[in-house]
Amino acid sequence: MPALILLGIFMIYPILWSLWMSFQTGRGMAFSFGGFTNIMRLTQDPVFLRALTNTLTFLAIQVPIMLILALLFANALNDSRLWGRSWFRTAIFLPCVTSLVAYSVVFRSMFAQDGIINQMLMGIGIIGSPIPWLADPFWAKVVIISAITWRWTGYNMIFYLAAMQNIDRSIYEAARIDGVPAWARFWHITVPMLRPVILFTTVISTIGTLQLFDEPNLLTQGGPSDATLTLSLYIYNLSFRFMPSFGYAATVSYVIVVLVAILTIIQFLVAKDRRA
Amino acid sequence: MSGNTSRWTRTLAVALAGISMATMSAASAAEITVWAWDPNFNGATMNKAGEIYAATHPDTSVTVVDFAKADLEQKLQAQLASGTTDGLPDIVLIEDYGAQKYLQSFPGAFEPLNDYIDYSTFAPYKVELATLNGQTYSLPFDSGVTGLFYRSDILGEAGYTAADLEGITWDRLIEIGTDVKEKTGQILLPFDPNDAGLIRIMLQSAGSWYFDADGNVTLADNPVFKAALSTYQDVVASGITKPVAGWTEYTGSFTSGDTLATVTGVWMVGTIKANADQSGQWGIAPIPSLSGVEGATNASNLGGSSWYVLSSAPNKEEAIDFLASVWGQDADFYQEILVNQGALGSLLSAREGEAYSASDDFFGGAPVWQGFSDWLGEIPAVNYGLFTNEADSAVVAQIPALTSGGDVDEIAAAIDAQVRQQVQ
Repeated sequence: MPALILLGIFMIYPILWSLWMSFQTGRGMAFSFGGFTNIMRLTQDPVFLRALTNTLTFLAIQVPIMLILALLFANALNDSRLWGRSWFRTAIFLPCVTSLVAYSVVFRSMFAQDGIINQMLMGIGIIGSPIPWLADPFWAKVVIISAITWRWTGYNMIFYLAAMQNIDRSIYEAARIDGVPAWARFWHITVPMLRPVILFTTVISTIGTLQLFDEPNLLTQGGPSDATLTLSLYIYNLSFRFMPSFGYAATVSYVIVVLVAILTIIQFLVAKDRRA
Repeated sequence: MSGNTSRWTRTLAVALAGISMATMSAASAAEITVWAWDPNFNGATMNKAGEIYAATHPDTSVTVVDFAKADLEQKLQAQLASGTTDGLPDIVLIEDYGAQKYLQSFPGAFEPLNDYIDYSTFAPYKVELATLNGQTYSLPFDSGVTGLFYRSDILGEAGYTAADLEGITWDRLIEIGTDVKEKTGQILLPFDPNDAGLIRIMLQSAGSWYFDADGNVTLADNPVFKAALSTYQDVVASGITKPVAGWTEYTGSFTSGDTLATVTGVWMVGTIKANADQSGQWGIAPIPSLSGVEGATNASNLGGSSWYVLSSAPNKEEAIDFLASVWGQDADFYQEILVNQGALGSLLSAREGEAYSASDDFFGGAPVWQGFSDWLGEIPAVNYGLFTNEADSAVVAQIPALTSGGDVDEIAAAIDAQVRQQVQ
C-alpha cells in the first residue's frame, strides 16, 4: 500500500498533471485553459519543426551506426584468442562512465578551429583549410553524432558481449567443423541469437536519442542557427531560457512521448514478424 | 558501556546547546543572502558593499552565493514557478534583457523600491527597463555601455590615430578595416555567427529594439532593424571579419592578436587588461553609428544586470536598507569597485569621483572611465520587452542566410514571422 501511494504521488500524479499542463496557455505561472491552442501552435512553429527534424536525423543516422559498431566490437572482443581483451573492453566501455561535462570540454577543444582534429587532418593533407566544426550547421551535426557514438557504443557493446557469452560454444564448433566461414557464423548464428538483445538496445537507444539533451546543450547550445537543436533542448529553452511557457513545453514533451511509443511499437512489431 | 553512553549524551547536549545558541544569534542578526554569478566581478562588488554596510550595521552580514549565470536563472525560474519561496535569497542579480520577463511572468515576486531609492540619480535607460506599471523593481547596477576596443599600435602602423576613430559610422569602419587589411594583412573584427550581440548593439544605438514601446513585434517594417541587418551583412562581406565559435574563441581572437578590434560592453576591459604584455597597445573609441538612420548615436548597451529584492525574502527590510544606503548613494563605494573590479555602475553622481577621471596607461593614457561614463548618459532608452531571448534566437537562425548574401527584406520578414510565432 505505501508503495502504491508513493507511485501515485511521484509517477502518476506528475504524468497526469503534465498532460493537463499541455492544454494550458499563458506566461509563467499565469496560465489558463487553452484547449488545442498548443497543438495548433506546434504545427506552425518553425523552431519546433527544426528541432523535430534534427532529432529524427540524429536518430536515423546515429543509432544504426552505433549499434553496428557495438556489435562488431563485441564480436571482436568475444574472441578468446585476442590479446588484452579485458583492457579493450574497459577502454571502449569507459566513455559512458566519464563525466559528461569533462568530456564536452575536451570535445569542444578538440573540434575548435585550431584544435587537434583540424591540425591532424591538415597535417596529413586531407583538408586544405580548417573545418569550422562548431560554427557550421552540417559539421556541428557531425560532431554531435560522433560525440554520442563515442559515449554510448561501449555501453551497448556490454549488452552484446553478455548475450554472446550465453551462446553455446558447441554451435560455433559444429559450424566450424562444417566449414562455415567466420562472417557467415557471425551473420547466421551470432546475430539471430542476439535478436532479443538487439531489439532491447534499439529501443533503449531510440528513447535515449529522442531525449537527446546533454551533448547539444554543452557542445553547441543547439547552434549554429538551430542546426543541432533537439526537442529536449527546445523544451528546456521554452521553460528556462525563454519567457516560461510551461504549457507549450509540456505539449512538446508529449510529442516525445508519442514518438517513443510509436517507434517502440514499430520495433516490437518488426521483431515479431521476423520471429514468425 | 555506561561511560560511553554518558559521554555520548554529553556531546549531544553540548551540540544541542550550540545549535540553540546559533539559532538565537541568527535571530538577532540579519544575514542577507545574495545570488549572483561571476565571483570576481558581481560577487566581489557585492562583498565590498557588504563590508561597507557592516561598518555601520555590525549585526547584519551579506553572504553571496555564487552560481553560473544559466544555473542561477534556471534555479530562480524553476523555484518561482513552483510557488515555493523557501530557499530563495533576499537579493538576486538579474540580467537586464530578462528583467521584464521575470517581472511580468511572476507578478508579486519582486519588491518595488520606489519608496526607498531616488531613481533620478541613475541612468534613465537602466531605470526604465526595470519599471512595470509605474513601479521600479531594481537597484540598477552593472552598465553594459559599449565601446570600440582596438589595437592602437597596429592601427597606428596603418596610419590611424585615436582621432580617426572618434564618432565614425560603420561604413567608415569598413573603409578603415579594409585599408588596415591591405597595409598590414590583418583582420579587424571577430564575429560569432551564433551570437546576435552586434545586431542588438546596433539596434539600441539608434533607439530601436526587436519590439516597439508597447512590446509589439515590428521587425519586418522596422527600418533600423533592416539597416542593422544590412550593415552586419556589409561588415562580413567586406572581408574584415573572422568567424569564431563561442565565447572562448571570440575573446581569444583579439587578445591573441588574431583580430585587431571588437565592439562590446565595458565589462570586457578586465579581459583585455588581463594580458599585461599588451599594455599601451590598446585604445577605446565610441562605437560606430548606423549610416543614414534617424536617431543614430555612437552609444549603446550590451548586457548589464541589476539587483532585485524578492518579496518573500526573510530579511526584506534589511536587504532594502542595505541596497538603498550603499548601492543607492555611496559614491565612494562606486569609485572603489571601479578601480578594483572595473565595475561601471549606473549611479550618475558617482561619475564625479576621481577614479573616473584617472587615465589608464594600458589604453595609452586615455581617461577610459570618463569616456564610458559620458557615453552612458547618451544611450537611448529602449523597451527590451519580454521576448529578447526568443527574438535573439530568431535572428541567430537567419545569420547564415545573412552572411551568405541573402535579401535583407526577406530575412527580416522570416525573423519577424518566427518571433511572432514564438511570442504567443
